[in-house]
Amino acid sequence: MSHNTTAIFGYNSLSYELITQLIKKQISIIILDSDSAKIDLAKKNDLTAYQLDYRQDDDLIEIGIGSTLNTLFCFLEHDSENVFLTLSARSLDKNLNIISLVNHPESAEKLLAAGANRIIDPYEICSNKVYQLLTKPHLTWLLDHVVFGRADLNMAEITIPENSILDKTSTQNLCIHEKYNLFLIGVVDKELGEKLYFALGEQDHMLDVGDILVILGAHRDIKHFKKEIGIID
Amino acid sequence: MLTRLTLYIAYSIKTSEWHRRNKTFCYDLLENPKSKIKPYFDIFMITLVMSSVFILIHEVKNESNLWSIYFENFVVSVFLCEYLLRGWIYSDIHHIIIQHHENTKYLGQPFSLKKVTQQILKSKLSYIFSPSAIIDLLAILPSYRPLRILRVFLIFRLFKLLRYSQSIQMFTGILKSKQFELTTLAIFMGFLIFIASTAIYIFEHQSTGGQIDTLYDAFYWAIVTISTVGYGDITPLSTGGRLVTSALIISGLGVLAFFTSIIVTAFSEKMTEFQQERVKATIEKSKDSIILCGFGRVGQEIAQQLFENKKSFIVIDPDKQHADLAVQKGYIVLNEDASKNSTLLHAGINHGAKTILCVTGDDVINIYITLTSRHLNADINIISRANRDDNVKKLYQAGANHIVQPFSIAGLLASEHIGQPVAFDAIHGILHHQKDGQIDALPILAKSFLDGITIEQAQLTQYKTGLLGVISNNPSHAKRRNRYKLRNQHFYFNPEPNFILNEGDILVLLGRQLSIEYLQSLIEKSHLSARKEAL
Repeated sequence: MSHNTTAIFGYNSLSYELITQLIKKQISIIILDSDSAKIDLAKKNDLTAYQLDYRQDDDLIEIGIGSTLNTLFCFLEHDSENVFLTLSARSLDKNLNIISLVNHPESAEKLLAAGANRIIDPYEICSNKVYQLLTKPHLTWLLDHVVFGRADLNMAEITIPENSILDKTSTQNLCIHEKYNLFLIGVVDKELGEKLYFALGEQDHMLDVGDILVILGAHRDIKHFKKEIGIID
Repeated sequence: MLTRLTLYIAYSIKTSEWHRRNKTFCYDLLENPKSKIKPYFDIFMITLVMSSVFILIHEVKNESNLWSIYFENFVVSVFLCEYLLRGWIYSDIHHIIIQHHENTKYLGQPFSLKKVTQQILKSKLSYIFSPSAIIDLLAILPSYRPLRILRVFLIFRLFKLLRYSQSIQMFTGILKSKQFELTTLAIFMGFLIFIASTAIYIFEHQSTGGQIDTLYDAFYWAIVTISTVGYGDITPLSTGGRLVTSALIISGLGVLAFFTSIIVTAFSEKMTEFQQERVKATIEKSKDSIILCGFGRVGQEIAQQLFENKKSFIVIDPDKQHADLAVQKGYIVLNEDASKNSTLLHAGINHGAKTILCVTGDDVINIYITLTSRHLNADINIISRANRDDNVKKLYQAGANHIVQPFSIAGLLASEHIGQPVAFDAIHGILHHQKDGQIDALPILAKSFLDGITIEQAQLTQYKTGLLGVISNNPSHAKRRNRYKLRNQHFYFNPEPNFILNEGDILVLLGRQLSIEYLQSLIEKSHLSARKEAL
């Protein structure tokens, strides 16, 4: 196993889409579940899967927590299971990236306290989306395509590399709009911390090496931009 | 000759449009609970009753003046008109005559004026002797001078209020539903009072050293004692009298408890029924409402947002616990099964509702509700939730307009986190409608300040918003780059500065909630002022 394996706990309807997307991105994944029937099913679908009891720390170490795993998705069906898994994994590896599902809003805080980096509430997102469909159907269509890249439009994040032409440029002089046909959504200015600032013309950011731009645009335009600033050849 | 004249009049009344219109108007005014004018009439009558009773109270201690006499006459004439009109619309005389005429003709018998008159008298008498008509009459009669002695009946005017208030009608309805129990109790009480008053009369008569003089005294004493009031103006002195008193007090407690329990159970039995009635009445009045099927986790979140934004919506959930929770939050709830036609019809699928949300946790139920709704209303907007990927196609087949997949969105979002955690944050924020950065769509209204100018002239950056693109179906933009198909329109991403905005185009903007709302208000204001000028 390479050092950037992603583990997904829970092989069920919740994790189905996630697995599909990760395979599309060619990320190396392993599926874990305590139910042997589900593991058999996953194996049948040509996935790397192991049956595992998440309650045993030894088993968790064996699959690579603390060594080869860098991201862990907790997609088990009950919040209590996800909290337990998050807690065990966090105690084994301080730097592990843990993303967990949350079913009840009151569990969100518990998961964050247990050490999850990110939590996702599918029901909340779903209800927001339904509400948006009611009030602004156009926007929902657009977000579906833009945000989740179902059309040619994509969102991408770009970290400014060393010796880039963008180093020491201010966001106002970026002209990303005219030059590259891209839309700048926001900036993470490392001088100001990890917060994402939306590009609304409220304040000017001086870009340095390591700062992150979140951009939106057509696939080829993003590729062109990456080439220009020296991320890819 | 008389028969022919009667028949002629009856038929001409039947065909008279004028007569029909007036009768319908009076019916709407006095009796029709669904008419719009009845509530105003009721309020007017309540005011009349209250003010006339107030004058009556005033006159107990003070001299009556000329104005109060005029007012009294006015009130009585209104009451009299009402009484007669109610009698008029109670039944149709011409209808009885025609019916009788047709019946006799069919049977080949002679038309009998006597029989018809009997029938008419019977129907009108049944009006005169109905309880509410008696109360009405008693409220009018005391004003007639020779009957001044009946002044006490003016109190009956207060009973007239029964007619005009719905909650009082509800109370009488409850009493009526417990008629049998109440009658039994009344008979029992009458029996008890009879025995007690006879016994006390015998034991406590003045001739035997007691305080009771007449049978009326005994009756009064029995009532005061059985109700556990016990004024103490008449007290038993003999041993026998005291025994009777003790027995009467104990049975009085029983009677009171029995009476209270009858009323309480009747109320609790009827209460849910009345609540449902009220919910149905509210639904009938609502317009452009949203029917929300399923009050689980997703349904609750949606209801919360709808409630906060003051949208009218109806929650349907067959689960009692869910329904109770929704009632607690103050929503309009039908605790019924949404997959039944009758439930959706009650919820107003064919009148008032414009969208149905099927958001239960079970795809089978969602599909079934979608299918039922589409069958009942071909034009309604249906948004449905699909938990499994395989069911999306089936939901579209069943007639859903939009489908939302909670686990699919969550999966997509989670996968975005690998490699692009910052973009994930941005998406997450946008999806959650964060205040400091959201994507919103603003339509350009006719003749507003943005109508007909280029993007360069619009200077949208001065409002601290970024223009992501424009949604438009204007054919003049057909050759522009960055065009994406969006149903019957196109989305122009990153439009060039010379892109001309037109009425009906939709701006897609990134900005703070504050700046987007400000821009929206500017568009609306300029649109309204342009319309005013045009007028």
